[in-house]
Formats: sequence, C-alpha cells, structure tokens
Amino acid sequence: MKKLIAVVLCLVLALSCTAVAVAEELSISWWGGDSRHEATQNAVAAFEAAEGVTVKTHYAAWSGWEETMSGSFVAGNAEDVDMVNWNWLFSFVDENGESYFMDLNEMADTIDLSQWSQAMLDACTVNGKLLALPNALTGRIFYWNKTTFDQAGVELPTTYAALLEAGKTFQEKLGDDYYPLALGAYDKMILMVYMLESKYGKAWVVDGALNYTVEEIAEGIQLIQDLEDNHVIPTAQTLAGDGADSLDKNDKWITGKYAGVWEWDTSASKCQNALAEGQEFVVGEELTDLGEFKGGFTKVAHAFAISRNTQNAELAAKLINFMNNEDEGIRARKSEYGIPASAKGLALCKEEGLINPTVAEANGKILAWCSFPLDPKFEDGALKNTDGVYQEVFEGLSYKDYSVEEAAQVLYDGVTAVLAK
Amino acid sequence: MQSIRPGRRRTKLEQGYWGFILIMPWLIGFLIFKAYPFLSSLYYSFTDWNLFKGGSWIGIQNYVTAFTTAKNLKALRVTFIYAFMTVPLKLAFALFIAYILNFKIRGVGLFRTAYYIPSILGGSMAIAVLWRAMFKNDGVVNRILTILGLDNVNFLADKTWALFIICLLRVWQFGSPMVLFLAALKGVPEELYEAASIDGATSGRQFVKITLPLISPVIFYNLVTQLVQAFQEFNGPYIITQGGPRNATTLISLIVYNSAFSEYNVGMSSAMAWIMFVIVMIFTAISFSTQKKWVYYSDERGDK
Repeated sequence: MKKLIAVVLCLVLALSCTAVAVAEELSISWWGGDSRHEATQNAVAAFEAAEGVTVKTHYAAWSGWEETMSGSFVAGNAEDVDMVNWNWLFSFVDENGESYFMDLNEMADTIDLSQWSQAMLDACTVNGKLLALPNALTGRIFYWNKTTFDQAGVELPTTYAALLEAGKTFQEKLGDDYYPLALGAYDKMILMVYMLESKYGKAWVVDGALNYTVEEIAEGIQLIQDLEDNHVIPTAQTLAGDGADSLDKNDKWITGKYAGVWEWDTSASKCQNALAEGQEFVVGEELTDLGEFKGGFTKVAHAFAISRNTQNAELAAKLINFMNNEDEGIRARKSEYGIPASAKGLALCKEEGLINPTVAEANGKILAWCSFPLDPKFEDGALKNTDGVYQEVFEGLSYKDYSVEEAAQVLYDGVTAVLAK
Repeated sequence: MQSIRPGRRRTKLEQGYWGFILIMPWLIGFLIFKAYPFLSSLYYSFTDWNLFKGGSWIGIQNYVTAFTTAKNLKALRVTFIYAFMTVPLKLAFALFIAYILNFKIRGVGLFRTAYYIPSILGGSMAIAVLWRAMFKNDGVVNRILTILGLDNVNFLADKTWALFIICLLRVWQFGSPMVLFLAALKGVPEELYEAASIDGATSGRQFVKITLPLISPVIFYNLVTQLVQAFQEFNGPYIITQGGPRNATTLISLIVYNSAFSEYNVGMSSAMAWIMFVIVMIFTAISFSTQKKWVYYSDERGDK
C-alpha cells in the first residue's frame, strides 16, 4: 500500500512538473477599480486564447499599491508586465542608475510603437530608453452631481465666485451635510496649483526648482481655505469622520450629499459607477475667473512597462501590443484606462462606440484647456502619500494648526526639500 | 539468527553532533530569515540606504534625525501612550472576564469560546475595516449614542478619541491572555480560599491576597508578551486612521513602514525599527529585573 501511495505521489509530481514545462507562463500586474479589473481580465483571457499561454494576474486598488510594487521590483519578483505610474519611470532606478524597466525600443519589432505620438513616447523616455507605453493622457477636471445641484436650485459653477456662492446656498437650502464639492489633501494641492497657474501663467516647478514664492503660494492656499470657510468643501475632520478610503467609496458621495469631485478623467467612471440610482453625473467646466491663463497640467495617466527581470520579454511585449494595438485587446479594455493613447486603440474605440462618453467629454476638455507641464517629483511619495507634505499642509490648515502663511511656508520648505533630493 | 554485536557507545561529541543535525532546519531558517535581516537592518540604520539606489555609511545621523524630528518624537510619544493605555486595560479586562468565567455557571464553555473569538479575528484587515465602519460619523456607535440622547462624537477625526479606538481594538482582543489567566486561576488551590473564608476574609481580600500572588507568574508572562505586541502594533492605525488625524495615531511601526516604502528611506526606517527594538528590550529587562519583587514562583524557596 505504501509503495502504491509513493508511486502515485511521484506520478503527480512528475505530471505537475511537465505541466509547468509545457505551458508558457507570463504575469501581469495593474491597479484600479472593479470595472478596470474586469476589462483587463477580459483582455488577458483573449490574449491567453490567442497565444495559447497562461497569464498570471495580480491586481488591487491604488491604495498601498505603490508600496507593494516598489518592494517587488527591488526584490526582483515583479510581474513581467506591469502597470506603472508615470513618476516611477524616474524614481525606480537602481544604484547604478539603471531602470528596473526594460528599454522597449528593443521590442520595436513586436510592439507597433508608431501608434503613439512622439510626444507621448518622449514623456516615457528616460536617458534615451523608452521605459513604458502610455495607456492615456490625463488631467483633473470637475465632475458634478447635477441632481443635487438641481435640488439646491444652483447652476453648475463655471467660476470660482459661483462655487463660493453655491456653498452658501447648499447649506441654506439642503443643510449642513451638503457640500458642492469634496476634496482630499492631494486634490486640494492639485486644485491650488491649477488656480496659481491660472493667475500667474507659470508652471509649478521649472528645471527642478519651485517656481512660486511663499507669498504666491499663500494666495493659492487662501483660495482653498475660502472654499472651506464658505461651506464649499467639508473640513478634513468631516472627511475623516466619514471613514472612507476614497471619495468614490464615501457614502456622502454615493448618496449625493457631496455633489462634486475634482478627479482624473481616467478615474471618472469609478465615481460615476459609485453613485446611487437616479443621480445624474456630469462633466464640469473649467473655472474662468481665476486669471488670464489656462491653468492645470496633463500627464501620462499610467503606462505599461516590462520588468527588466522578465524571462519572457518577447511574450510580454506581445501582451502590451495586444492590449493597445490589436482589436480584441482594445475591445476588452475599452476606455477603462482612459481615452486610449494608441492611435489604433482610439480609432477602433471611436468607430465601435466603446468610449464612455463622460470620459471622452472630460478628456476633450482637459486636453483643450490645460497647458502646463508636470514635474515627476510632484507625485513623490514624501509629498503625496498619507504622511507626506501635502497632507501635513492641508490637514494642518483644516485643523487650524497652521495659519495660511505658516501652511505656505511648510509647503514651500517641503517641496524644496524633495526637489533637492 | 543474527548475532548481536555490542554497539559502540556514542561519545559526548557525537551526541552533540546529532543534536546539531536535528536542529539544523530551524537553525538555517533562523540564520536566513531572522539573523541576517536583523543584522543587516542594524547596518542599514547607519547608512542613507535608498530602497532602489543603495547608500553609504553616515554614522549615527539617522538616530540624530529620529530624536530631533518633531514627527518622529511625536510617534515615540504616541507609541508610549498607546502601549501604556492598551496593556493595563487589556490585562485587567482579560483577568476580569477570566475571573467570571472561572465560576461554575451554565454554558461557561460557550462563553469561553465566544470571548476567545475576537483574538482569532482581531488581527485581520477585515476587522480593522469593520472597526472604522463602527466608529465613523454615521456608524453604529454614534447611532447608539443618538438613541441614548447623547451628542455624537467624531471618533476618527478627534486626536484623542482616534487613539482610544485604536487601543480599544487591541483591548477587545483579550482572548489569549484571558485563556492563560483562566488556566492560572484553575491552578489556585481551593483549600486556600476555604481557609481564608474560615478566617473571615472577604472575597475582595481573597482576590488580592491569594489569587493575585498565585497567578503572578502568568501576569508577568502576559505583561511581557502584551508589551512586545503593543509596541509592534501596525494594522489598526494603518487601516483605520492611516496614522491620522494630525499624526495622533502614527505609531513608530507606521514610521518604519512609511519611511521604507513611501519615501524609500530604508536607512531611516531601520533606525526607527532599532529604536523600537531597544525600547521593547528595556521594558522587558525592567519587567524581568523587578519580577523578584512581585512574582511568586511556588517552586522557589523563600529561605535562601
């Protein structure tokens, strides 16, 4: 009996080894909401069927993802194909100055690079190496819950002054729990830069140096503080008390008590899908009374890269090409990663009506308006994360730990220190 | 029939050699997964090691920064408050429940199991998420306060309350010390209580004069293990408050994590981890050095 068991076990082991040897395997990682997970899984399944390979998937929400992936890259066990944030291309560099991502120019025979504009390829090229291929370009824009605005009898705001007025009207007509807009610390930071760029017509950071004085920054912070003082946005305390990871998971957004968000166009669908039935979600307009310039920046939303440790670069490149440039992959992903950056992807999505009209409208408005570049260090973890400088400044302001002038100084010092690293 | 050959007696050296072979799997695991990371983190703490780019020796600079940066000092203070609020509350609560469950009451087995369940669930992410949902503005706790006619409290945004609910999550997981206390209480001889009763001691006096001294070894064990656990707490503040509001729940463990994986500053992260280690070591040493004064071991002679 024992011999029989031993033989069976050996056979099982041998079979599993054979199975591993036969099936070619690839792995892919990405972050996002449920709708993106589903779309990517469909694209991966189509690729598996087309190539006869197995692809392992690893995905989750954004929260905590950067920490997970930074550890994976350093440990050398990141997936073959990885969705990357744009600033990773500049920060994920080893002690020899070598990137953790492979140069995709070497894969030009497999990936049709001509589908991306030169400007997009340049944005992902570091030290002459093309480290990733963008999924989309993105920027921030307002999205409003028109149903709540209608309840308050307020027109959707197109100026900063109208936004301030809307705050008061919301409070009077709908109650203390209702706000026209909700902003987290990072949202406030991006909105403040948008406002400053609109007034001063200069980028936030130029040639690695902060391009604004403490006094100018104080003006921007005052504009954000005025939003809070006029009941346009909830305080940091109120948002913390809501107990939600992000605005799209916040009950008050879902039920329409928070009637606006300032979001990436690539993330619009998660906010839209979260709304309870009967709420109308619309793309807002840029604010026109902030200055004579068109503020705001666009950036590569995210991109796909190949880990330098991959054992199967050719197949990994095929998967990237499949998702961006081949019909089945494009159809599966639709506009879940934003408006496709690949020309072929965009053409097919338009032709077959695969683009979410809200995403298309928002992206069109952003690309037509935003005129400033973004420095990669704007998204540095020491600034952006939950214990970073942006959180310290805007939470401190909301808790009255800082005056506007003090907050401006803390922000100036924090950003300068990170830029100097 | 085989002849029986007299076996050679094993020398002491050979016996030691076999013992060494037998513990080898553990030893290899210990050296690779404990000793190496432990010592390398000590080395990193004296460098400006970047997660991606490596680094070079900077001496005690990280330790100087750790004790001169307001954020780190606050984290140290919060960690102490957390540990000294959580451990006594948890031990007192565990002992209280164990004392009750030590009585012969109907369905006591069910209660013992029920009270142990939080210890199994407590460390999980799901419970931390549930905790946040319970204490949010429109969560079940505030609804109960409303029903009782009390004012609502913004638990997650108030600096004091936020730390308290993080402590409460740990106190709620009192099952493990409770089981140990229960076992210790069972070991206290009935005759001592009977004798004390005959002498007219009240139950309160019996508890102080008989129960506490006799279970003091278990109190000591629970104190040391719970202190170590409390100084290492991570899940609660990471999930429930992300260290907020205004760093009111930023424990050292969060600084260790954020320094390494958000700011990629492994050197600073290692320094903070070593500071935490030294603190735990000091408290453990204090506990051990004072145990002669308050821990009673029945196998020790008092007349030495």
